[in-house]
Amino acid sequence: MTVVTANKLLGDPVDRVDGPLKVTGAAPYPSDVTYPGLVHAVLVQSTIAAGTIRSIDAADAEAAPGVLAVITHENAPALAEGPMTPLLGPAPPSPLKDNRILHHGQHVAIVVAETLEQATAAARLVRIDYEETAPVLGIDNPEAAVLRNPWGLETQRGDAAAALASAEVVYDETFAIAAGTNNPLGLFATVARWEGDRLIVHESTQWPTMARQTLATVFNVPENDVQVLVPYLGGGFGAGLRTWPHAILTALAARLVDRPVKLVLTRPQMFTSVGHRAETTQRLRLGATRAGRLVAIDHVGTSTLGAEAANMEFISIETGAAYACPNVATHDRQVRLNIPSPGWMRGPGSEGNFAIESALDELSYTLGIDPLELRLRNYAEVHPQSGLPWSSKALRECYRVGAERFGWTRRTPEIGSMREGNWLVGYGMAGVTFGGAQLPCQVRVSIRRDGSAHVRSAATDIGTGTYTVATQLAAELLGLDIGQVRVEIGDSDLAPAPPSGGSSLATSLGGAIRDAAGNLLRAFLNVLAEDHRSPLQGRRRDDVTAADGRIHLVDDPSVGETYSDILARHELDELAADGEINPQADGAGMAPSGPFAARFAEVRIDAELGLLRVARIVSAVDAGRILNEKLARSQIIGATVMGIGMTMLEETIFDPGSGRIANATFGDYLIPVNADVPDLDVVFVGEPDRFSPIGSKGLGEVGIVGVSAAIANAVYHATGRRIRSLPITIDQLL
Amino acid sequence: MNAFEYVRPDDVAGAVTMVSRDPHASYLAGGTTLLDLVLKDGVVELGRVVDITRLPLRGISRGDDTLRVGALTTMEELAADPTVTERLPFVREALLLGASPQLRNMATVGGNILQRTRCRYFRDPTVAACNKRAPGSGCAAVTGVARMHAILGARAACIALHASDLCVPLVALDAVVHIQGVGGKRSVPLTEFYVLPGDRPDIENVLQHGELITEVEVPLLPVNARSGYLKVRDRASYEFALTSAAAALLIEDGTIARARLALGGVGTIPRRAREAEELLNGAPAVNQTFRAAAEVALRDPFTVSGTAFKVELAKRTIVRILQTVSGVQS
Ligand SMILES: Cc1cc2nc3c(=O)[nH]c(=O)nc-3n(C[C@H](O)[C@H](O)[C@H](O)COP(=O)(O)OP(=O)(O)OC[C@H]3O[C@@H](n4cnc5c(N)ncnc54)[C@H](O)[C@@H]3O)c2cc1C
Ligand code: SF4
Repeated sequence: MTVVTANKLLGDPVDRVDGPLKVTGAAPYPSDVTYPGLVHAVLVQSTIAAGTIRSIDAADAEAAPGVLAVITHENAPALAEGPMTPLLGPAPPSPLKDNRILHHGQHVAIVVAETLEQATAAARLVRIDYEETAPVLGIDNPEAAVLRNPWGLETQRGDAAAALASAEVVYDETFAIAAGTNNPLGLFATVARWEGDRLIVHESTQWPTMARQTLATVFNVPENDVQVLVPYLGGGFGAGLRTWPHAILTALAARLVDRPVKLVLTRPQMFTSVGHRAETTQRLRLGATRAGRLVAIDHVGTSTLGAEAANMEFISIETGAAYACPNVATHDRQVRLNIPSPGWMRGPGSEGNFAIESALDELSYTLGIDPLELRLRNYAEVHPQSGLPWSSKALRECYRVGAERFGWTRRTPEIGSMREGNWLVGYGMAGVTFGGAQLPCQVRVSIRRDGSAHVRSAATDIGTGTYTVATQLAAELLGLDIGQVRVEIGDSDLAPAPPSGGSSLATSLGGAIRDAAGNLLRAFLNVLAEDHRSPLQGRRRDDVTAADGRIHLVDDPSVGETYSDILARHELDELAADGEINPQADGAGMAPSGPFAARFAEVRIDAELGLLRVARIVSAVDAGRILNEKLARSQIIGATVMGIGMTMLEETIFDPGSGRIANATFGDYLIPVNADVPDLDVVFVGEPDRFSPIGSKGLGEVGIVGVSAAIANAVYHATGRRIRSLPITIDQLL
Repeated sequence: MNAFEYVRPDDVAGAVTMVSRDPHASYLAGGTTLLDLVLKDGVVELGRVVDITRLPLRGISRGDDTLRVGALTTMEELAADPTVTERLPFVREALLLGASPQLRNMATVGGNILQRTRCRYFRDPTVAACNKRAPGSGCAAVTGVARMHAILGARAACIALHASDLCVPLVALDAVVHIQGVGGKRSVPLTEFYVLPGDRPDIENVLQHGELITEVEVPLLPVNARSGYLKVRDRASYEFALTSAAAALLIEDGTIARARLALGGVGTIPRRAREAEELLNGAPAVNQTFRAAAEVALRDPFTVSGTAFKVELAKRTIVRILQTVSGVQS
């Protein structure tokens, strides 16, 4: 595959094209949508974690002012289960199936009323009599069912057990990471409306194509009769990859009351309704030579799971690819508990990276080798599992440039040897190998007679900048100004697209746009095939390129004509072409790379008070071609902040007895504030990726990965305390 | 959310009568505590909300050695007052380390004194066991997830924390609360204003229903005193204290002539550390003294697994603030 070559706009730090709409409040988010006659829904959630509903007394709620319906398992029609989802496995179980309670916060009723206040008041009047049983809680609970290798993702190469048994140096430790909650700022909302048998849903989703498929399956209507709209989303962080039960309930309510219905989750409901990062434990064993060569890795990752839901978990997914080690075994375990279903949270794999990169740091002290040097000694020149060359890899460059900008050589290796005033200073680093993903994607691109282009796909912009990079790419490839390109996304009626998730969308959509732009030029040439008046008559795709709103000969730019002239002469309003990518790694002769990164952290510690503050983080990232430097930097900075949260603050706490989330508010669940976020330096290195049609690799998530280990390693350097459980709070450091 | 009546009287006597007569009425000042409890959490049901923000109780006036602070003065206004900066610097520090600027612009001094606990079990109506909400129902926090909870003055019946920062220097200073009820006015020192949970954690202070805080009178520190407030927390800003300490010292020739010390983040009420003060008074300003004072101040804590670490943390917090204020190196 070739990459987009010489170009003007790509990489430019163009401002977000949707910026003005957002800062003026004009961008319509799902919760902003309203219709004449729209009514409001409020959820009633279970207050026990396990058992059954003996009876529901909804009489007072039904009689309350403004109430239109109280829907429970007793009066709800049976709903089909959602479909198998590519990437993610089975859809979450459909709601209101029966009287069983599987977790605290399970939706047991939905109340619909004329106003939000009436619905809220009535929801409190629904009386539910439960038959409670002892919930299965706690990741170590011996009574919990354990799934082994549930996704067939375990890695095996060589003989890890034998290599461990004979290794010169053996490392064996366990790690624990608290559950975390995605917490996009925008509360998830669904506005559902039926027009006969056609369902229109404004939905907080990262994946309209999948949301449409799920709703169509659950309500047993053709996919073409469901339209999912999400032109703007107030963040997702993985929470919007699923179509969760509350969205299905809203559509159900709209059907039953025959009015448009709006549901906006409350912040506490965001903790129980749209997934969370599973709590995890890991056991990691390494075998190494005294010279610092890894000879064995054995990695067991265990994560929590809902009682019946599925969640494709990624803890040890990168372990096999990260280092050149001949003997590797990874093991996945999932523990079924009475908790709300975990789901993907931005940066899956960050958990496994914390363990591996902490362990290497420990090894560096054991062996007396600089942590950076130790990583270089185990550098994977080719993909260690397949033996194929990487489609791109500049991790060595990340280490070199990152270390230089950080001033790694200033680090004195002895523990506690660096100070500033009363504060202990620590330096730590981590390497990052992250999975690559390009997913099938389609797009339609057209050019109108006024010379403007229109790009349409069911992709989404969840705040990451899809509108902007799609605009830039189309402008670049069609030879237009940015102002001449209009991008229309967030509508499931448009060409199918993958999610804004798995760091995949910009590259996938970009590849499809590139394909479509080529097809569109071909379509223009086809129109001109018999056109004697055109200087481009009979030319082939390879002969021409586009610039300044014109198609012209590559060899002689003076020979050509504008899109507008062509369309006008042929009396066409517009000309459109479809494009797609359908990436096939098999037979490509290379291992498709994801992004790589090196993270360097400096921390300050007040050892007496247990205070940990991050002073600065340097991130050197190889994400292939950078489509927009400004947006790319924002992605890394934002993700680094989330990494700081995961490392030092965030913890979704389940009450040990009741399974209720004990801190489901922003007053109690701490995310970083500005004062926690230091100077964040980001630098991009590397080359365009060979497997990606536009040379880019995903960078929406890699910014989280490696932050935890870099900070924890710096904490060790400062204090000699090895912290293997996150978050690192004051009590751990006292 | 139940429907309630909203009224906004403009004279103090009228407001006091209105609330005193109606057991389901409550004052509304900045609303940063009350509205959460009523609207978001649904743990307080009211028939009538009496907005007092138009009452003439806002403003600060200086006497010879006291500062009189109207109950409706906002936290931000108090922090910006020149006398506070000059003569009560640790009050200013405590204020500015609390909440966020947005909240401090709404939150009033009277409301801060009367803020309710942050205990999540108290603030979630689906939790049955909470003696503070439903006397006799038990305490879910003692066996649950407790971290932002009290270790002093706590007992199995309730370990809820009084989370105010402002009140920590105020109890250290012997501030006095001025109160108006239907029967007239009275004054209560802040150190006697709060009630330990005992068997009735729902009773938090000496106010009768309908009594209004009109003013807080704060004695100024001597000009040669030094003071400081230290707040320890995981998040660098916008978090309640895990532990905190307010100290004011008058040091003469290396000896502590007069100490004032109070603790936050650890008490069911803002804790004046009188025994520690006695130990400090007349003692040399050295680390040994500070540690001894810290040991005394944390005597007989009541801890659960999640709060046990706070005992040592609170001691270190005390030592550090005494070091900082006295200028003694650790
Ligand atoms: C997110 C968040 C973070 C916070 N962080 C901190 C912090 O770090 N440190 C800190 O100290 N505080 C903090 N607070 C608490 C905040 O300071 C209090 O909520 C605030 O001071 C209450 O004042 P108000 O005027 O808003 O009171 P309101 O909410 O209006 O009233 C509170 C209570 O006092 C009663 N009341 C109010 N005024 C009077 C009066 N004059 N006489 C009699 N009764 C009265 C009301 O009836 C009500 O019961 C935080 C609050 C929030 C929401
Ligand atoms: S600590 Fe007090 S407020 Fe919290 S649950 Fe127990 S009784 Fe209620």
